[in-house]
Amino acid sequence: MKRSLDSDQYTLQDGANIAVVGGGPTGSFFSIFALKMAKMIGREITVTIFEPKDFTKDGPGGCNRCGGIISELLVQTLAVEGINLPDTVVRKGINSYRLHTNQGSVFIATPSLEKTIATVYRGGGPKGTLGQDMESFDHFLLNQAIHEGAVHKTFRVDRIDFRNGRPLLFSKNVEIMQADLVVGAFGVNSSSGKIFEGLGFGYREPSNVTAAIAEISMDEDVVVGRFGNSIQLFLLPDKGIKFGAMIPKGPYVTLCILGTDVGARTVDDFVSKPVVRAVLPESVPYRIACRCLPKMNVGAPKKPFTNRVVLCGDAGSTRLFKDGLGAAYIMGKAAAKTAVFEGVGAHNFKRNYLPVYNGIVFDNYFGRFLYFVIDRYRKTTILTKAMLKVVEKEQRDPKNGKILSSILWDMFTGNERYKNVFLKSVKIKMHIDMWEGLIKSLIGENR
Amino acid sequence: MREGELGKTYNDGEVIFKEGEKGEVMYVIQAGKVRIKRDSTSGELTLGVLETGEIFGEMALFDRLPRSATVVALGGARILSVDRKKLFPTISRDPTLLFKILETMSQRIRKLDDEIGKLNKRRSELRIVCSNIEKTCDTILQEARRIIVADSGSVMLLDEKEGYLSIKAAFGLKSDTKIRLKIGEGIAGDVLKTGRAELIDNVLTDLRFLPGTTKVTSMLCAPIGCEGRNFGVINMSYASENVFSANDLKLIRALAVYASIAIQNEQNFFNLKNATDDLLRRATLPDAP
Repeated sequence: MKRSLDSDQYTLQDGANIAVVGGGPTGSFFSIFALKMAKMIGREITVTIFEPKDFTKDGPGGCNRCGGIISELLVQTLAVEGINLPDTVVRKGINSYRLHTNQGSVFIATPSLEKTIATVYRGGGPKGTLGQDMESFDHFLLNQAIHEGAVHKTFRVDRIDFRNGRPLLFSKNVEIMQADLVVGAFGVNSSSGKIFEGLGFGYREPSNVTAAIAEISMDEDVVVGRFGNSIQLFLLPDKGIKFGAMIPKGPYVTLCILGTDVGARTVDDFVSKPVVRAVLPESVPYRIACRCLPKMNVGAPKKPFTNRVVLCGDAGSTRLFKDGLGAAYIMGKAAAKTAVFEGVGAHNFKRNYLPVYNGIVFDNYFGRFLYFVIDRYRKTTILTKAMLKVVEKEQRDPKNGKILSSILWDMFTGNERYKNVFLKSVKIKMHIDMWEGLIKSLIGENR
Repeated sequence: MREGELGKTYNDGEVIFKEGEKGEVMYVIQAGKVRIKRDSTSGELTLGVLETGEIFGEMALFDRLPRSATVVALGGARILSVDRKKLFPTISRDPTLLFKILETMSQRIRKLDDEIGKLNKRRSELRIVCSNIEKTCDTILQEARRIIVADSGSVMLLDEKEGYLSIKAAFGLKSDTKIRLKIGEGIAGDVLKTGRAELIDNVLTDLRFLPGTTKVTSMLCAPIGCEGRNFGVINMSYASENVFSANDLKLIRALAVYASIAIQNEQNFFNLKNATDDLLRRATLPDAP
């Protein structure tokens, strides 16, 4: 009996108000799908997105500080959803990676050579790019949500209380809305986490690491000539840096460095490495137009929901080091499905949202293991050489299978779940190839 | 088109996939247009044109049958492929991903319903046209009756597929309208074969004569045809012998010329109707990609 009363109490009715704190991809995805699904079942709901940031602004003011890669899987999934990324949003279509190590480099391409990965800006681009023919990904998605019927308000939500069991939102101590559901869709770099911690249901902000991101400015022709449609990936044996990536975006290249010991000097140290300098132009000038040290979610909070409150995206569980935008889509949609089709009670989220949330958390365990293995490979010269030999052979003769190439592609494009990458890595053939590569490398070293 | 955009660029007329190929991916148009076409007996047939944002090739993913049509770029197009191996696991985790595909498919079913409705209307109109062949034959016979005195008569047309003559219009008591004659069989079949009109005073003495239910003695028979191809005969008969004159033979021969033109027009129209019918049927087949 109690369950049915709860169900009625927590089922969104006509006229229900949903407040979304954060208008980044998670908040926009939630809003788009919640509104679409509500229309499907003939329910009239209001979704209000509270986002003070102007994503059309150039420089740090409009940026959500991220590498800005949309994985092949997300590009395809969004296309199936009817969300096609316009040319003004996609800075570059990517069809290949070049993996650089201290022992050489190797090229890994999509089988079809189709450009299936998108590089985007989260804000209006590096300082000084305003007015160019470009649109930020976050602005595009927010507009999609508005097009579906969401209301965008630029208030910064700074307090949430409960009155009569329903959340009450405040901005500068002024009551701005009483909601049937509050969705926490802010990033780890936002101060909004403290507001939700203050609600006392057990939510704690995610644990995080610091990343280094820089925009390297150079002539667009130079970017096209040197980078083409490839992302340059660096697996170097440095302590404290897991990997670095250079992502071409028109007249800029976004440098993204992830690791456990990243600080103010990381970018300068990184670009001065011979392997990295070899990728950058020698005779033409380039400059670092802007840089930041954003936090990255590496540990999901255990309590991401309570009655009428749910947290998703970077505020909840996200994919380890990769495909944060893919996780924003998955979690934003999972929260929307639960809210519209099931209800907004803690029991609804536990039954329908938590399995998806935990799915990402569980998958990240495989990710941690895989990054541990890759760390061993990048730090051990002989293993690095063997890995390069196997990938070279696979790229030369694709008929014999491309298991290691595919593992590296999926790992660094975020194209596949870590669990599936792990399952590929236990294939016997890959280990035979690796042993062969290892022996060849050893013979080569002794000569 | 800019080099850095998503998908693969196809030039005008370049084939994206061919009819009969195995379908492993579906496609989403990022920019430009594509033309869906199919080869038919009457030539290349355009089934539709799709534009930016539309999906195609999804049916082969679900029914695992070969591609039902060929798709080519129309004036250049940029296409993003969606791999079956990636799509299905994603759908398995999130079945709501099918909502958009189902929406597209239901829109196409609605469009097909509309086209089938239009086709049925067209078929009804064509049925009227089809019945007009018999009507034309009947008009010819009425005209023959007006100028030649006879107590029975018929217009027989050749079924070219089956190779026999059958009655399309007749008058007179106890007319045997179900009679079928092969080319060269009976007097009518022989006239059709030779292309020569004949006046027979007493058919009972003619070895070619095949007796039917109607009593016939005198007979006029003229071929209907044009450009050396005969496709029917016009018969006038009388129960008594020596009834028709040479003048009657001239009249029926002249009438046969006009009858040939009228029936040929009807048959051309009928053939045109069949071709149109075929085109419409193919264009509205539910297995379009």
